[in-house]
Amino acid sequence: MILQIENLSFTYHSKDTETKAVDDMNFSVNEGEFLGIVGPSGCGKTTILNLLAGIETPSSGRILLRGEPLSSKGNEIALMPQRDQLFEWRTIEKNVFLGLEILKKNTPENKAYGRELLEKYGLKDFLKKHPSELSGGMRQRVALIRTLVTAPSVLLLDEPFSALDFQTRLNVCDDVHSIIKQEKKTALLVSHDINESISLCDRIIVLSARPAKIKADVKVDLDKSLTPLQRRESPRFSKYFEEIWRLLEVRK
Amino acid sequence: MTEEHKKYIKKRKVRKCVIVGLQAGILLLFIGAWELVAYLKIVDPFIISSPSRIVKIIGELYRGSNLFPHIFATLYETVLGFLLSTVMGTVIAIILWWSPVIKDVAEPYLITLNALPKIALGPIIIIWVGAGKASIVTMAVLICIVITIISVLTGFLSVDKEKIMLLKSMKATKMQIFAKLVFPANLPTIISVLKINVGLSWVGTIMGEYLVSREGIGYLIVYGSQVFQLDLVMASTVILCLLAALMYGGVALLEKFIAKKF
Repeated sequence: MILQIENLSFTYHSKDTETKAVDDMNFSVNEGEFLGIVGPSGCGKTTILNLLAGIETPSSGRILLRGEPLSSKGNEIALMPQRDQLFEWRTIEKNVFLGLEILKKNTPENKAYGRELLEKYGLKDFLKKHPSELSGGMRQRVALIRTLVTAPSVLLLDEPFSALDFQTRLNVCDDVHSIIKQEKKTALLVSHDINESISLCDRIIVLSARPAKIKADVKVDLDKSLTPLQRRESPRFSKYFEEIWRLLEVRK
Repeated sequence: MTEEHKKYIKKRKVRKCVIVGLQAGILLLFIGAWELVAYLKIVDPFIISSPSRIVKIIGELYRGSNLFPHIFATLYETVLGFLLSTVMGTVIAIILWWSPVIKDVAEPYLITLNALPKIALGPIIIIWVGAGKASIVTMAVLICIVITIISVLTGFLSVDKEKIMLLKSMKATKMQIFAKLVFPANLPTIISVLKINVGLSWVGTIMGEYLVSREGIGYLIVYGSQVFQLDLVMASTVILCLLAALMYGGVALLEKFIAKKF
């Protein structure tokens, strides 16, 4: 077990009211697992993400990484945001070095590792280019490499394909899946897209409406050697879809 | 190159020629009509002056070694006011971005200062700062600085929240968020503020010179109108036009240079 979430709760405060976004949540993630979190919109997915990424501090409960509480420094859990969020004024390689610079780890070896990843995943000719010169799919690949280069233990994917058109989306989904598998990373995908979650994940946690609680923990038993696109064609795929759809539909 | 593309290129060239031609034509027509109206005494040239009189008086100023000292006096005040207000305004905007508490405290004061016609402060400035160059530069700074603070701060605050989240997830400090994201993302904003400030610092300087000065273009204008020498007033205005255009051109060049680096 690489990640353990214990009794996690979080409450938002505003002038008029307080809102419980996450209520006593418990789950764990195994090493090398691809875990999906789906839930109805506004259920507190983003909050869970912010808590895991260390942007927010839990109201109560703990997040343990390999048995240790998350530290306030370091980038053990790295976020790949919705839309690529590449910085237009930086070249592609400089975008990849961003996390290294922030963590003060921009040593020649780490930079070389970044370049190596870019070259390995077909971006060799774009090192000195700016993000606007790349296609949406390539940009998403750069964003993924930016999260990989700091060598985190867990990747957090926040609806990483939501800004892409459908066709690009399927291709990038395959891309991201194969890169994560090749780099042997543990990944957590937060999404409202059921199809995407089933095609990518080994296990899916279904959340209730706010405050988010775990409603079901569905193990996705599809052939792991298939690409996400191929998995979509598998006969069991639609069964999983129906199951999760039903779980999400019953709101009360 | 295809025939069609050649046609397209030619069409573009023709369009550009027409525009430059019209621009030059309007200027020449204006100068010609002005000269003619003055020459034929349709309107008294004592009131409206004339292009030839303007050239003559600029020549006289030059021969009396009065031209460049006046130009440099005004240019010095304007450039100093421009630089001071841009730098100070940006620094204050950074402080306000840094501390939301200071920002909220400062807000009503900024709004009031922004709405206040700064010329009203002229007499106070003269008494406090003294009747001299310092007053003029203060005037220019006062006019530019509030709008600089507001524009730059608005730029800082409108940086994409998701990008800030990304940096926070990397455990970036506030300093890093500023240096790696907020400032570079706002260089274009700062450049556009520079463009506004070029115009405003001229307003401030000339207004300052109207109030207190013994030299400068603004002084020449006021002096010319007091002794009813419209030739001098018009000549100074023409020089002012040229200087302001030149300075704006400089900033536009800087913008191009930075845009290339981006």
